[in-house]
Amino acid sequence: MRETCALILASWRTALSYRLSMVFSLVGVLVSVVPVYYLARALQTTMAQKIELQGGEYFAFLLVGMIATAFIMTAVNAIPGVVSSGIATGTLEALLSTRASLTSLVAGLIGYGFVWTSLRSVVMLATGLALGVHLVWSAWLSSLLIMTLIVLAYLPFGLFAASLQLAFRTAGPLPSIVLIASSFLGGVYYPTHIMPSWLPRLSDAIPLTYGLRALRETLLEGIPFRMVIPDVATLFGFVLVLTALSLFALTEALHYARRSGTLAQY
Amino acid sequence: MTGIATPTPVQEPSAATARPVSVSLDGLSKRFPMRRGWMDTLRHPRSVTYVPVVQHVSAEVYEGEFFGLLGPNGAGKTTLFKMLATLIFPDAGTATIAGYDIIQDAPRVRRVLAPVIADERSLYWRLSARENLELYGVLQGLDSRASKARADELLTVVGLDDTGLKIVASFSSGMKQRLLIARALIGGPRVLLLDEPTRSLDPISARQFRAFLREEIAGRQRCTVLLATHNTEEALELCDRVAVLDHGRLLATGTAERLSRENGDELYRLWTRGAHQPAIDALVERGVVRDVDLYGTDDDGWSILEMEVPGGPDRTAQVLAFLTEQHVPIARFERVTLSLADLIERIVERRGGAEADDA
Repeated sequence: MRETCALILASWRTALSYRLSMVFSLVGVLVSVVPVYYLARALQTTMAQKIELQGGEYFAFLLVGMIATAFIMTAVNAIPGVVSSGIATGTLEALLSTRASLTSLVAGLIGYGFVWTSLRSVVMLATGLALGVHLVWSAWLSSLLIMTLIVLAYLPFGLFAASLQLAFRTAGPLPSIVLIASSFLGGVYYPTHIMPSWLPRLSDAIPLTYGLRALRETLLEGIPFRMVIPDVATLFGFVLVLTALSLFALTEALHYARRSGTLAQY
Repeated sequence: MTGIATPTPVQEPSAATARPVSVSLDGLSKRFPMRRGWMDTLRHPRSVTYVPVVQHVSAEVYEGEFFGLLGPNGAGKTTLFKMLATLIFPDAGTATIAGYDIIQDAPRVRRVLAPVIADERSLYWRLSARENLELYGVLQGLDSRASKARADELLTVVGLDDTGLKIVASFSSGMKQRLLIARALIGGPRVLLLDEPTRSLDPISARQFRAFLREEIAGRQRCTVLLATHNTEEALELCDRVAVLDHGRLLATGTAERLSRENGDELYRLWTRGAHQPAIDALVERGVVRDVDLYGTDDDGWSILEMEVPGGPDRTAQVLAFLTEQHVPIARFERVTLSLADLIERIVERRGGAEADDA
């Protein structure tokens, strides 16, 4: 834990040294929310009935989707990102030569990404609130739990990508495929049940579908947590299966990289 | 021609043998698959050609010893170091660091061994030197307070105590190299791996850095140091013993003096003039001398011939007696003292060639 915190602190200090970039990034978040607000207002009448079980307010619906997307992007991209830059700079070699466990190192290296995403999400949420979003504040704990499960369900994809990166020097299109599929089939911009033909069946295979539905129902509609337990349980199932598979893939990739010499090979 | 097998660890008649073994390599081998073109991969998708990078390397390094690993680029030095640092698995053979096996006890190996990653980019450039060291102190298992104290101590050791609070981006290459050493030392390792530590330094900084390594790391910190370099002067200046590696094979191990004695004793120069050629040809014919070349001519017009005298000093009297008998004018006849670079070239030529013949 100490190792993880030290790595997060190091990344935080590094980011703080680029103050202007940090400010611009936060301002960028704020600016990106405003157009979405006007777009959502324009489509409110069309969408209201379709999302009535998820708060009925299209801007809030989109805002929750955007925040969840920010988190899953971090979950999917952070690990291969740090592995890739770590290999290029030699940092990975230096870190792997220390006594710290692999879990502490991975958590420490991606931890800052989540801290920063949380900060950006707070700015998004604050902007949303200022623009009139209504949240069910009593559901904050269950919402936090669901959001954590969403992140945990997507971290394995980051581990899969990192495994490819370690073994073959490239993660290929995996992160992009996961993110694009989740954005369009997971219910970020519209509820999945309005999709035509067989597409809703595809969305059933995407963890975000369950996470977002549960999140919106509790946070925007105020549905009690026990009512969303089926979705949460499915999400938890994704977490268990994907985590086990991805840890196996990472262990194998590390073993392969140590055997083939691609670990820390520039 | 006699083939030379991979040398067994050489027991030098020096103080080093009295010390316990710190690093032991036993038949360590590694090969990598060769990169293939698209067409070749499509034609023969299952065939893999391997390139041997490290071949049956055996050696022992004693506690507190400064051991040089010399060889040209591609000799296998870095791969050998990566295997010792547990970053690459060997295909065959074993190695122990302070008694711990590099495969079975990899976490323990990481406690006692620290590779000095020479790439400056592996530092956190936007953090101060002190913050870099504090971070790695924690990663090496120290608590926050101990890490801070150790960071301060090491900044003094590497001579960066005045600049410890400055960000690394403002450091010169020499300062960064010192910081990389400090980073490696923060966990209190017993064995340090230095892979070409002066490659990015100018000659003056490199000399200062070598003095630092000799006085501080070997002298005061009492670390066992394995130094991989292709800079022979650096090895000569720093190392108690050196090993010559070429194409992954360990060709010779010993002190520079011993290697010189074994491999450079046969080269001589003769200052002569006039009709010396028939006498020299006769010596070559009898096998007393070989590989005779005209090395040059001095200011007084004497031709300088370079030759090998198999048997070294024991046969030189015979050479001189014969030349005198043949009335060959002789101004000087002396043994050539080889530089370490020449010596290594000779070792690589002789033993590498011999092993290739055997193969």
